[in-house]
Amino acid sequence: MSERGAIRVAVAGKGGAGKSTVAGTLARVLARRGHRVLALDSDTLPGLALSLGATAPTEPPLLAAAQKGEDGHWRLRKGIGPMRAIERYSVLAPDGVRLLQVGKHTDDGLKPVMGAVNAFYKVIHRLGEPAGLDRWAIVGDLPAGPRQLAYDWAPYADRLLLVVEPTWQSMLTARRIARIAGTPRQVAMSLVVNKASGQDGVARVEAFLGMPALAVVPADDAVAQAERGGAAPIDAAPGSAAVLAIERLADALQAGSLTA
Amino acid sequence: MKIVVAGKGGVGKTTVAGTLARALARDGHRVLALDADANPMLGISLGVGPEETDALVSVRQGLDDGVTEHEPTLEGFVDRFGTDAPDGVRLVVASRIDKFDPG
Repeated sequence: MSERGAIRVAVAGKGGAGKSTVAGTLARVLARRGHRVLALDSDTLPGLALSLGATAPTEPPLLAAAQKGEDGHWRLRKGIGPMRAIERYSVLAPDGVRLLQVGKHTDDGLKPVMGAVNAFYKVIHRLGEPAGLDRWAIVGDLPAGPRQLAYDWAPYADRLLLVVEPTWQSMLTARRIARIAGTPRQVAMSLVVNKASGQDGVARVEAFLGMPALAVVPADDAVAQAERGGAAPIDAAPGSAAVLAIERLADALQAGSLTA
Repeated sequence: MKIVVAGKGGVGKTTVAGTLARALARDGHRVLALDADANPMLGISLGVGPEETDALVSVRQGLDDGVTEHEPTLEGFVDRFGTDAPDGVRLVVASRIDKFDPG
């Protein structure tokens, strides 16, 4: 954990492993327990807002925070630090979670939202500043695969949650992510086995990655159903085994007694 | 025919692409399976094997190693960096991200 004792995690893994489900539900659980929570969505495809139960505007609010200089480089507008960016440009999600989004692909690709993408990158690199965020819990949801970790898109995290389902593709992806994320920052890594349907699968993932599971989230029809309906699992399936497992994940993170 | 398979993570792009490539090859087509994902896994769905897929050398790595001078053509790259998958499918991995490289 960070020296402040605040929870600062980024969630990574293969596509479809359940990153947004874990991130969105974890953020809501922490908020219900009294944390001020910043949820970061750095995926340019839809995801975290649905799992959080938030309504996000199509046009990314962070566009207004960005300014292109004469040199062609994007900057944050004058006076906009991390705290102000969150106050002004995040979306309020249920339970008081603040959701800051990178900006989403449009019909014309990413070009129309490049200002927001750049502003987001700059804001997340300043979240460590002593700017009133010290006690916030931060839960970041990364896009599929290792790319953003290679490009330093989770500088705020002191712990990476590797969400892995018991398939080779998912395990290999987690191993690639773990290798990249180990440098240059010392980031702790924890394994979350998702869509587990038996002890065999869990043991296989643990053995392959050489780490014990911090949480095991079972395959859960109620969560699948919620996602088919576009609802947040914590709203549509509050007592489900998967949501309960993510509550236990929150317990473990809050206990703060994790070893790197 | 030239087909690109796209979609959100986890929906089954690789499963569809790999199985389609094998099916076309069995029907007698010469098939080039191109894995353009920065987290390439197509080899697994083609039947190359998981650890074998993880160990494949990408064209990008080849370029970084300076092989380009010796392989000026696409065919050359397919020959040099391609891997044989079952049913005669030729698999080429475009690039793979495997190190921290900000900026």
